[in-house]
Amino acid sequence: MSGDIFDCIIVGAGPSGSIAGYLLAQAGLEVLIIERGNFAGSKNMTGGRLYSHSLEKIIPGFSKEAPVERRVIKETVTMLTGDSSVSLDFQSELLGEEKKDSYTVLRADFDQWLASKAEEAGAILASGVRVDDLIIQDGKVTGVIAGEDEMEADVVILADGVNSLLAQKAGLKAELKPDQVAVGIKEVIELPANVIEDRFNLNPGEGAARLFVGDCTKGKIGGGFLYTNKNSISLGLVFTLSDIGTEGLSVPQMLEEFKQHPAVKPLIKGGKLVEYSGHLVPEGGLTMLPKLYGDGVLVVGDAAGLVINAGYTVRGMDLAIASGEAAAQAVIAAQEKGDYTAPNLAHYKNLLDNSFIMRDLTKYQDFPIFMENHRIFKQYPQLAVDIFKDLYLIDGNPLKPLKKTALSHMKKVGIVNLLKDAWKGGKIL
Amino acid sequence: MKKIVACYKWVVDEADIRVEGKARSLNFDRIKYKISEYDRNAIEVGASFNEKQGCQFLAVTCGANVEASLKDVLSRGPESIAYVNDGALEETDSSVTSKVLAGIIKKIGEVDLVICGEGSSDGYSQQVGPRLAALLGYASVTFVNKLELTEDGIRAERKLEDGVEVVELTGPAVVTVLPDINKPRIPSLKQILAAKKKTSEKLELAAIGLDSLALKQKTLDVSGTVMERKNIQINSGGMTIEEAAQKLVQQLKADGSLA
Ligand SMILES: Cc1cc2nc3c(=O)[nH]c(=O)nc-3n(C[C@H](O)[C@H](O)[C@H](O)COP(=O)(O)OP(=O)(O)OC[C@H]3O[C@@H](n4cnc5c(N)ncnc54)[C@H](O)[C@@H]3O)c2cc1C
Repeated sequence: MSGDIFDCIIVGAGPSGSIAGYLLAQAGLEVLIIERGNFAGSKNMTGGRLYSHSLEKIIPGFSKEAPVERRVIKETVTMLTGDSSVSLDFQSELLGEEKKDSYTVLRADFDQWLASKAEEAGAILASGVRVDDLIIQDGKVTGVIAGEDEMEADVVILADGVNSLLAQKAGLKAELKPDQVAVGIKEVIELPANVIEDRFNLNPGEGAARLFVGDCTKGKIGGGFLYTNKNSISLGLVFTLSDIGTEGLSVPQMLEEFKQHPAVKPLIKGGKLVEYSGHLVPEGGLTMLPKLYGDGVLVVGDAAGLVINAGYTVRGMDLAIASGEAAAQAVIAAQEKGDYTAPNLAHYKNLLDNSFIMRDLTKYQDFPIFMENHRIFKQYPQLAVDIFKDLYLIDGNPLKPLKKTALSHMKKVGIVNLLKDAWKGGKIL
Repeated sequence: MKKIVACYKWVVDEADIRVEGKARSLNFDRIKYKISEYDRNAIEVGASFNEKQGCQFLAVTCGANVEASLKDVLSRGPESIAYVNDGALEETDSSVTSKVLAGIIKKIGEVDLVICGEGSSDGYSQQVGPRLAALLGYASVTFVNKLELTEDGIRAERKLEDGVEVVELTGPAVVTVLPDINKPRIPSLKQILAAKKKTSEKLELAAIGLDSLALKQKTLDVSGTVMERKNIQINSGGMTIEEAAQKLVQQLKADGSLA
């Protein structure tokens, strides 16, 4: 730091910001991380599952010291109609394989830990401070403005989350459109660890992840999720913002109905609501990718829309972490040259292009459009339930062969539609 | 130049405490700590004397787990902090707290004015200030909602139940302040950064002439109080509003809620 100028100011102490701060401080840069919450994580939410691979690469064995909740060893996808459900269960040792495993997390604890790693490495964390604006001179970002205070830096990393007003101010991004974001709501419901383990068939330390499609979003694009934490369950819904209200149900009403569904109610029975939160999720995929860098500025994580939202499942934290890492690498390289102009920071985009981030985002790029197809959220859950109903409901009437009954149900959706969706879906997934 | 000390308590954020079950036990599982609310007013008083009149201004605290508070308090204006952090102070009451604080303040030496909040956000026993005054041999002025420094003392307005009392005194004093004396600051970015460069002095109990064993106290039980609802329905059965209002007034009188 020369005089009062930091090498790098990072706005936001979510996973993307803290990782960038951690790596830059480790490399000996003078780093300031500014977080508007009273502590890192205080304002943050997530569904609950962190895929470990990208953090494992930076902090090997992190799960032993980080406040993770449970290691996911069991995955269930459930299709819901109003009164019935069909589930697919996957349990495998493979899920627990190191570097491929995933953990449930609660952000208030997890983000604090990650931010403390950055502080230990030498970054300065100023929490309880909101950055209101950027200092921009001749098109180059040279610092931040927080209240009355101005603070300068050679480069600013915007890690301020999905609704990054600062990226807009830097001219990197347009205002969010309703169809580019989904809304997520979540309750944390407390239950004793042994009750959770009995209910979900888990050993201590093991966790379950469940996704729900269909009636929980009233047939709209989106889905429900349930993650087991140590002593609580994270239960919530994610759905496209432009879809809200079209079914006449408010967001809290939808969550309430989801909780009352016969497939969900027994899982949370006797639990105590300890936290309620709502948050936006970027879901435009590649189509909403902003300009990722400019003179003296980089955008990472949710602020850059680096989230894979496959409708019923959201993945953002591992991308946030990897993009924070790429930004740190680009800044370190820029510092060596003493040049923070856009052409030099373009290295950040190269790193992303050659990483799993762009590979996976590209793979899923048609997914948002595919998801716009409401059949997946309305007709297919009904189809699955109808087929299973015919299989299992015995009332003394003559049984029809499965092929025939299944076909008659499929005809309701339209065989051509079904094949089309299966083909498109198969290609994307 | 006057030397001013503000005392503060690092308390559990009451928003995080949960009262559980019939036994009304208190659950402290997911708690965070904070600088006690009225103590923030006390710190703000000192900070403004420091900024506007150039007084020397220090913060003082003690407890079993207060180191997490240092950065926070230093961003609110004090030039430095002196504190005792000792496991023996886990469950202190105001008698022990005031002994420790008095010890620290004597160690600092030549303090002209000590400012405390009127009471803490957790216990609100309102005892630490007056006890501290007694232990230090200082004047004690409570319920203060306006404070000025004079040549050789202070001028304070005390907000009492039946009026405002203005007191002037010479010599050192311990003042306890009410929340309406000022609006505590939310530390700015520069104040937070400046705090990182300030000094803090950790003192051992022995260094202030106290013995940790002699101070050790044990709290046997703490539980929450809950006001039971009486579930009285005033206007059941098609009663008119006038009748219901009269019945309500009678009920409130019977309860002693209306004189
Ligand atoms: C309901 C829901 C479920 C999800 N489920 C999952 C999941 O299971 N797995 C997964 O991997 N991802 C999930 N995600 C996505 C994941 O939570 C995000 O992708 C991730 O948190 C992005 O991290 P980030 O660091 O980019 O941003 P954030 O975590 O949003 O952090 C941004 C930080 O910046 C701060 N900030 C913002 N503006 C300012 C400002 N002006 N000044 C100072 N500070 C500021 C904020 O307070 C915040 O701390 C989910 C998201 C939602 C909403």
